[in-house]
Amino acid sequence: MINLVRFLVFIFIIVLSLSLKASEASNWLKKEVDKILIAYQDPNLPNENRFLLIEQTINNNFPGKSIAINIAKQSYKNANEETRSNYINLFKRHLALNIASLMQGYSNQKYQLTDSRYDEKNKVNYIDMEIYLDTGEMIVTWRVLKHKERYFVIDLIISGISLYETKRSEFNSMLKNVDNDLAKLNEELHKINESSYQKIIN
Amino acid sequence: MNKLKQLLIFFSIIFISFNLNAGASDDVKTNSEDFETSIVEDEIYDPLEGINRAIFGFNNVADKIILEPTAKGYKKLPTPVQSGVGNFINNLKLPLVAVNQLLQGQGKNAAESTGRFLVNSTIGIFGLIDVADNLGLEQKEEDFGQTLAKWGVGDGFYIVLPLFGPSNLRDTSGMFMTMMTDPVNAYAASQGEAWVIPLRTAANAVDQRSKIIDEVNALRDNSLDYYAAVRSSYYQNRKAAINNIDDSDLTPLPLISIEFE
Repeated sequence: MINLVRFLVFIFIIVLSLSLKASEASNWLKKEVDKILIAYQDPNLPNENRFLLIEQTINNNFPGKSIAINIAKQSYKNANEETRSNYINLFKRHLALNIASLMQGYSNQKYQLTDSRYDEKNKVNYIDMEIYLDTGEMIVTWRVLKHKERYFVIDLIISGISLYETKRSEFNSMLKNVDNDLAKLNEELHKINESSYQKIIN
Repeated sequence: MNKLKQLLIFFSIIFISFNLNAGASDDVKTNSEDFETSIVEDEIYDPLEGINRAIFGFNNVADKIILEPTAKGYKKLPTPVQSGVGNFINNLKLPLVAVNQLLQGQGKNAAESTGRFLVNSTIGIFGLIDVADNLGLEQKEEDFGQTLAKWGVGDGFYIVLPLFGPSNLRDTSGMFMTMMTDPVNAYAASQGEAWVIPLRTAANAVDQRSKIIDEVNALRDNSLDYYAAVRSSYYQNRKAAINNIDDSDLTPLPLISIEFE
């Protein structure tokens, strides 16, 4: 009987510690999402400055360099230092433009973080954000990883579609088209970034 | 003394548990060689890519010229009108949804869908008001493509259908099965009112498109390869729908080494 009680106490502690970790990550995420929404809702902010603020928040909270390297795989390894550095900068801006553009659509909507759970096996927090739209609700799941006392968003999932997975597929396809030449990919990335930036600031 | 010992053990466990968790979360030591993060992309078999890209280009233009402006106009209608149209269209799908749920062995869901259909068609005034949702009868989607997948039929190759958009061999077959067996369409045709069928398809397209205007624009404006992005999104979305499990659990986890930051 005493052993059973001890076992239950042990399980309770583990569950409690996991839920505390999940709620710490949720609090952090809410603060960061609010920073972006406040930037969108401030009517006095010029569009260029608004995007810069959002880009800074995204760059601070997404492991952009790591995702970029992970996505380009062998092409990154084979490229020279200058091309690599160029690619990282272009990718980070591309990521910021993608997320800023997605969030722009939800900037006037109310949201709530409805659920958070900690995946002990993979050391990843899953945080569900419910966005209240005119025609119903929408769930966005954030995958958050803690690394050296910092949180990083490693993926966003909307309606079963992962931003990371979509980008990986898209970049793989483009790399195939340019014979895995990272310098050529940079040219394409530069063009799309320019066009996306113009759309977001105008 | 024994109590004190137990208390000390209790606090040690808490302390160790927290430290183990904190330490483990910092211990993400994958390296740049660990690039194989998922199999989703590699599974997409697209032997008709050239033709698919051409049809995709045509669909994209049609979307920009016809569907998107119509969906934007539809979105300007009062919210109750949009909800009413959406509810009406969804209600008409329910008989086949229930059939597919039965074929997949989901008896409880089939009963719920039948209940939804009966409640919404009567109290909900021909499906215009979703009364069933308030009674806890949730809307769930199942189609023949999903049923075939559950029966073990593979995706087949990727196809982009003119006007209908991304699909694959299995889901296209499922779509034809839906067209052939839909009781509402069959009834309309038998009454000499076949014009209802394309009207219903178009209304459904506008209603669905109006719900994803921002998402599609974000994807279109910011994609390095829009075709590949849509193809990947389609497969991920279908996989989530077929498995009927939590989306976030299904999507492969990126094993990113953040040592680079």
